[in-house]
Amino acid sequence: MTLSLEVLASCVRADSVHKRVYTDPEIFALEMERIYGQAWIYVGHESQVPKTGDYHTTRIGDQDVIMVRAADGKVHVVYNRCPHKGAKVVADGEGCTGKFFRCPYHAWTFKLDGSHLSAPLKSGLEGTCYDPSHPDFSMKKVARVEIYRGFVFACQAAEGPDLKAFLGGVISSIDNLCDRSPVGEVEVAGGSFKVMQSSNWKVFYENLHDTMHARITHESSYVAAREEAKTLGEMPFELLIMDGNGEPYEFWEKLELRAYPNGHGYMEAIFDPAAATRDPVSRAHFSSLSEAYGEARAREIMGMNRHNTILYGSGSPHTVFQQFRKIIPISVDHTMIEIQTFRLKGAPQAVFDRALTYANLINSPSSNVMPDDVEVYKRCQEGNRTNGGDWVSLHRYLGTDLETPDGWVSTNGTSELPMRNQFAAWKQYMLNPPAVTGAGQLQSNMEDGHATA
Amino acid sequence: MAMQLLDRTIDVSTSPVTPASISAEQQRAVELFLFHEVRLLDERRFSEWLALWSEDGRYWVPRFHDQLNPFEQISLFWEDRMLREVRVRRVENARNWSQQPPTRSAHVIGNITIEGADAAGNLIVRSTFQLTEWRSEQRQLAGVVFHKLAAVDDGWEIVLKRVNLVNCDAVFANLEVFI
Repeated sequence: MTLSLEVLASCVRADSVHKRVYTDPEIFALEMERIYGQAWIYVGHESQVPKTGDYHTTRIGDQDVIMVRAADGKVHVVYNRCPHKGAKVVADGEGCTGKFFRCPYHAWTFKLDGSHLSAPLKSGLEGTCYDPSHPDFSMKKVARVEIYRGFVFACQAAEGPDLKAFLGGVISSIDNLCDRSPVGEVEVAGGSFKVMQSSNWKVFYENLHDTMHARITHESSYVAAREEAKTLGEMPFELLIMDGNGEPYEFWEKLELRAYPNGHGYMEAIFDPAAATRDPVSRAHFSSLSEAYGEARAREIMGMNRHNTILYGSGSPHTVFQQFRKIIPISVDHTMIEIQTFRLKGAPQAVFDRALTYANLINSPSSNVMPDDVEVYKRCQEGNRTNGGDWVSLHRYLGTDLETPDGWVSTNGTSELPMRNQFAAWKQYMLNPPAVTGAGQLQSNMEDGHATA
Repeated sequence: MAMQLLDRTIDVSTSPVTPASISAEQQRAVELFLFHEVRLLDERRFSEWLALWSEDGRYWVPRFHDQLNPFEQISLFWEDRMLREVRVRRVENARNWSQQPPTRSAHVIGNITIEGADAAGNLIVRSTFQLTEWRSEQRQLAGVVFHKLAAVDDGWEIVLKRVNLVNCDAVFANLEVFI
C-alpha cells in the first residue's frame, strides 16, 4: 500500500515538515524511486577513470552502479548487475576491468558500455530466445549520463530536464571550483573518506546551510582552537578553519544564502583563507591565476568565496577547499558521506596541500568539528521517534526571502530559506512519481519461457 | 611557534636503517613504556599522554594500507603537537556533545619487537593491538603500531606513532579519541 499523494503533500507545510519524512521507511523507499530515480545525481569525476577499462563503483540512491571508461573514450554508467543471475559484476571499489566485464559467476561477458559480448557454451542456448542484441542480455545502462567540466552526473529517468537546466544557477559553483585551476580543470586526488551518520539524509542537507547551529553545536571545537591559538600567539590555517564557527550571531545574519529550484543553493563563505597568520598559499594561487587569466579575472575567481554549495540529491561541493561530499542515503536512519578532494590542475602544490589539510581536519572521521554535528543529527533522529510532537520547525525569516530571476536570496543569513527550498523540491518530486519505473515490468521476450518460432 | 603540518622533512619511514642492539632489560623498559602509554589513553589521562611526545612528534593513522606518506594522500589522523592539544582541549570541553557519554576504551597490546633504529637513531618498535571502544555501541579496532622512540634522561619520548589499522579503508563513524 503506497502512501497517497494527499498524505505526502500534507507532510510539508510552508513553515514546517512532519517528522515522519525523517523516520518512515515507506517514505524512504518512495524517495529512492521519486527523488533518486528522477534527479541528476553526481556519480564521480572523469579523472577517476582515466584509461579504457577503468571503473569506479558508487550508488545512485539505493542503486549500485559502475562508472566506467569505454574504448571510445566515453564514460558510461551501468547498473552493477549481471543479467544472467543478477550477481554484482564488480566488487565495490575501483580498478581496471580491461577490455570487458566478466561476471565471476558463469563468465558471461560484456563490453564496457554493458552490452552483451558472450556467454560460454552457447550451444545450450540455441533454439531459445537468447539474443545477444536484446537488452535483457546486457548490463543495463542508467538512462542518461551527462558530464559537465569533468563531473559525471547520471539520471535514472529517460525523460526530464537536461543537466544544465536541472542545476540552474548553482552551476556557478562547479564553474568556480574548476576556474580556480589556471587551466580550468580539476582531478580527484589524495583518496576519499567514508563516514557513516546515524540519521536521515535530509538532516545533513538542511544542516549544510544552517547558520544558527554553528556557535552552539561547535562550541567545543572553536573554543579549543581559540585556546590553542592563544597559547601559540598566532592563528594558523589549521586553527582558523575551526575558529570560524564561533562567530557572533551578527556575523551569520549578514551572510547571504542563495536558493535555486530543485533544492539547490549555496552559502557565502564563513572565513577567508587569506586571513590565516601565514598564508603565502593564497598569494601563490592568485599569481598563478593572474598569469593564466589576468588580474581582474583572477580577483573575480578568488573573490567568489563560498562555503558549502548544495546540489540536492548529490551532495555538497566546497569550491574554496576543492572538495565534494557525496551524500548517499543508506536507510531511513543511516547516511553515508563520501568525501572527495580535488587537485586544481596547474595550481601551486601548496593549494593542494591546503585542501588535504582541510579534508583531514574538518570533514574526516577524526575531525574535531563533525562529531558534534553527527551527534545532534542522531539526536534529531531519536527525538523524532518519540510521541513528543509531530512537526519540525522551518519558521526563521519565513516570508522575507526575495525572489531573484533564477531563484531566491535571503534578506537575513539566519533564514531557514535553504530548508524550505529543499522541502519545496522534495514535495515536487514526491508528488510527481516517474511515469515508468521499469521495476517489475516484464517487457522482454523472457515472458513465457518459450521460444517463439 | 606552530609546527608545519606539511613539513616534508619529517621522517615517517618505519623501516630501520641500522640494527638496534638492546639488552633484555631495555626491551622490558620499552614494553612498560608502551603499556603506560595506552593506559593513559584508556584512563583518559590525556594531558599526561601529551607529555610523552617529543616537541615535533607526529601521530599518524594512515588512510591506506602501505601508505608512503601523509603529504600526497589523506590520513585518518596526521597530527602535530598543536593538533594533539586541540583534540584534547575539545574532548575535555564541557560542551563536547559527542563525548556525552564519553568514549570508553581498553587496549591490549602485544607482539612487541624492537625493529632497529632510524636515520636519527630513534628506536623503531613494532606492536600489535586490539582496542575495544564503547560509546552507545561497541567498536573493535585492531592493527599494527610502529613507535619511534627517542631516548631521554628518564626513559623515552615518542617521535612518531604510526597506527596501521586493519580496516583503514572502512566506512567509519567518528574517531574522536587517540587510538
